[in-house]
Amino acid sequence: MSFEMVIGIEIHCELKTKTKMFSGAPVSFAKEPNTCVNEIDLAHPGTLPSLNKKAVELSLTACKLFHLEIDRLLRFDRKNYYYSDLPKGFQITQQFFPVGKNGYVDIDVDGSSKRVFINRLHMEEDTAKQFHRDDVTLIDFNRAGTPLIEIVSEADMRSGKEAAAYVEKLRTMLEYGHISDVKMEEGSMRCDVNISIRPIGVNAFGTKVEIKNLNSVNNVERAIEYEFERQKMLLLSGQSVVQETRRYDEATRTTVSMRKKEGSVDYKYFPEPNIFPVYVSDEMLAYVEANLPEMPEDRFKRYIHEYQLNETDAKLLVSNKALGDYFEQIVQLGGTVKLTSNWLISEVLAVVDQKGEQSFAQWMDPTFFVELFELLDKQVISSKQAKEVFTWMLKGQSPKVTVEKQGMSQVSDESLLLSWVEEVITANPQSVIDYKNGKDRAIGFLVGQIMKLSKGKANPALTSQMVKEALSKR
Amino acid sequence: MANNKEMWLQKAHKTIDELHKLQPKLNAVVSFVDVEKQVDEAMDKTGPLAGMPVILKDNVLYKGVRATASSYMLDNYVATYDATVVSKFKEAGAIIVAKSSLDELGMGGSNITSFTGPVHNPYDLSRIAGGSSGGSAALVASGAVDLAIGTDTGDSIRKPAAFCGIVGFKPTYGRISRYGVIPYASSLDHVGYFTREVKLAAEALMLLSGRDDKDMTSISTPLENVVEVLDESLANKRIGIFKNVLDAIDDEDTRALFFDLMDKAKEQGATLVDISMNSNLIKTVLPTYYIIANCEATANHSNLDGVRFGTHEDGDTLEEIMTNTRTKGFGPLIRKRFVIGSYGLMDENQELLLKKAQRVRRKLVEATEKMLESVDVIVAPASSHVAPKLNDPSIDQLSDKYLVAENYMVLGNFTGYPSITIPMGMKNHLPLGINLLSKAYDEKTLLQIAFQLEKLTGLKGLKAKVEL
Repeated sequence: MSFEMVIGIEIHCELKTKTKMFSGAPVSFAKEPNTCVNEIDLAHPGTLPSLNKKAVELSLTACKLFHLEIDRLLRFDRKNYYYSDLPKGFQITQQFFPVGKNGYVDIDVDGSSKRVFINRLHMEEDTAKQFHRDDVTLIDFNRAGTPLIEIVSEADMRSGKEAAAYVEKLRTMLEYGHISDVKMEEGSMRCDVNISIRPIGVNAFGTKVEIKNLNSVNNVERAIEYEFERQKMLLLSGQSVVQETRRYDEATRTTVSMRKKEGSVDYKYFPEPNIFPVYVSDEMLAYVEANLPEMPEDRFKRYIHEYQLNETDAKLLVSNKALGDYFEQIVQLGGTVKLTSNWLISEVLAVVDQKGEQSFAQWMDPTFFVELFELLDKQVISSKQAKEVFTWMLKGQSPKVTVEKQGMSQVSDESLLLSWVEEVITANPQSVIDYKNGKDRAIGFLVGQIMKLSKGKANPALTSQMVKEALSKR
Repeated sequence: MANNKEMWLQKAHKTIDELHKLQPKLNAVVSFVDVEKQVDEAMDKTGPLAGMPVILKDNVLYKGVRATASSYMLDNYVATYDATVVSKFKEAGAIIVAKSSLDELGMGGSNITSFTGPVHNPYDLSRIAGGSSGGSAALVASGAVDLAIGTDTGDSIRKPAAFCGIVGFKPTYGRISRYGVIPYASSLDHVGYFTREVKLAAEALMLLSGRDDKDMTSISTPLENVVEVLDESLANKRIGIFKNVLDAIDDEDTRALFFDLMDKAKEQGATLVDISMNSNLIKTVLPTYYIIANCEATANHSNLDGVRFGTHEDGDTLEEIMTNTRTKGFGPLIRKRFVIGSYGLMDENQELLLKKAQRVRRKLVEATEKMLESVDVIVAPASSHVAPKLNDPSIDQLSDKYLVAENYMVLGNFTGYPSITIPMGMKNHLPLGINLLSKAYDEKTLLQIAFQLEKLTGLKGLKAKVEL
């Protein structure tokens, strides 16, 4: 019997705001625990929530990007449950009236396009982070109250590949939209997958299993493929799938049961009385619409038309937004398009591991490239020397300084070059004979000898040309 | 003229001495507050509250000072920030001398349920001061201070004001910020205060009100200068006599005092109009209030779990810690209310309880709005009787007298409209009060009429003499 899978995905992503969803405390990643908190985040008695305008703006932008219908009357609700990571004993969310509903994104899988529908997008606040040690639990409240949006897809995906493509598409769009950092490994974007399987041709849904703890796009795909096989084996051996929450275990590349679902929990949702409904003004909506950020496909088109890049290069630069941004930065500073894209794609990407957490510009001053290209253009250095200059750029030394310190400037002075050419040809009569006998590689040999003599400073193109001329006169 | 630091300090210390003397009799103070630094910081302030000793109900947070809300749960809780109303007091140069007792977490009408014990009525120590702002009411009535903050969710300022013979005022919902005030039920909670004169109530409103970005429900509707226009006469004022309430009152003395005052108002040019609402509808006030208030309160107090602050009881699991903490931390009445609130919020009950209650609230608001179409204020006795005895057996809670006459002031919380109680007379040396309710944002008319009625009662500045 063949089966197909039915997949729906819930994505939580932290919004890129300066302050929290309902308090003025700073949002932080990897700051010292419990330093980015105020009385509101700790739910001290008497505190009240104040809605973060920037978070609303980013949520509206996300709604626009995913073609969602916007509910302009923003309403919030309380989701009640007791847990130590939830200071108020309730989470403020948008249960009854999400800001966005009924949208979609188009994904590409194996060259064909598919539309995945999005059920809803709503705003809420994050919980604190807990660290369980042997006999104690440590709580870091820095994350408590961080603005989140939750994006819930319809159960439209049918393979691990489609699911991965969907997550990747959302990830890229949210990054391009300046909405979130979308770092899955750090938890600023979190992904829960609901998957059930059914025999092909059957319309009814099978029992749904939820998979949590998917910290990369690859793991989304792997977990789904594993889960498909697991559920298939269960059904084929006459057992049934249990409704439960499982987590993906990276080490074993399997999914492991976390807890069985025993009926649904009653969160006693009710409207948050401390936030009156807020109407999104025409001005705010107009502002959001007028400032919609460039999406990857727009950037791709721009790179082809504006910069005349070839499709392969354009695709590469667009797939890494930070690299694309860096590319544009260098070009704006005066770097030529072709040289810049070549250097970034061939040289920079090869050593990008060294960058670590820094941004490209922090890692390597973009003006270095402009200097480098100028030195090449004026033939002060050869392209071979440029590679060495680049290794110094990686160490934070500007090309001009490197050229000076290493005595690298290239010799293009024809009289000096000519004296070297004469010297080398005189010293290697056999090469002249070889050349006369049609062996062109003699030129290369002679140029090499000149390079040696000049300690690499001879302009290679000019030298090669002069060697040819000198040989032909013999 | 420069302020005299010595004089202000002396005044504050004298007030604190007085409070200490009253404490064995009234049991109205939970904590005393240091005043030296406050006086220093207030020296450059001028205005009606500058240098004035004032009291906060103990559910209002003042940084560095214990804030218990009269619950064992917060016995050890020291405020980490200032409530907005405290910041306003500081700006006005007021000197906070003490925190006063309340019914635990503001839930109650007797001030018997405070974890520090009952508050006594300054007119008769065997009687209640009323609640939940009983401590503040008793202390203003005794004359120890001229102004004390209270909060009002059902009638928690306006009822104790009646029992203690003073002015109790809550402005329009959102007029005074709730930031830093330990809640009872967010959609009903109001911050207000007690005075012995309507004029000071008007002056304090100018200083304590205003839009606060920390409270999204606070309003930016401008407030007129309510002090300057206080003296406007009763001519052209239309006073609506709340028939349903008067009909439910069987105490002839209360009725006589009330109608006597109304006659005097008429002599001053006021137009008296009988007004009423559907007699079945008004009986829904109490049950509707109970559901909404308890549902909101249950969620509001879920933060009191023993994890981050307050009373903490140990346990082997998180659930045990929370259960033990909350079982020991709250009094039995509070626990009962949380059970009711939780029940009302449950998925299968919410439609029938909370949502239904909210729809009935809407009907009550519309009915009140309609009554106010033809009059400036709605008036009725604030209670049918004088303050009950501390050990009074519970009265018949389904009688009209109880359902209507003792609970109609909740309409002021359902609507959020401004409302004030002032003393209207004495019965056997015990005070009785009259309550006024005006349209939203119309504190001006409310205070004008209260100011004129105060002249007619001759009870301005009424003070209880506590036998020490």
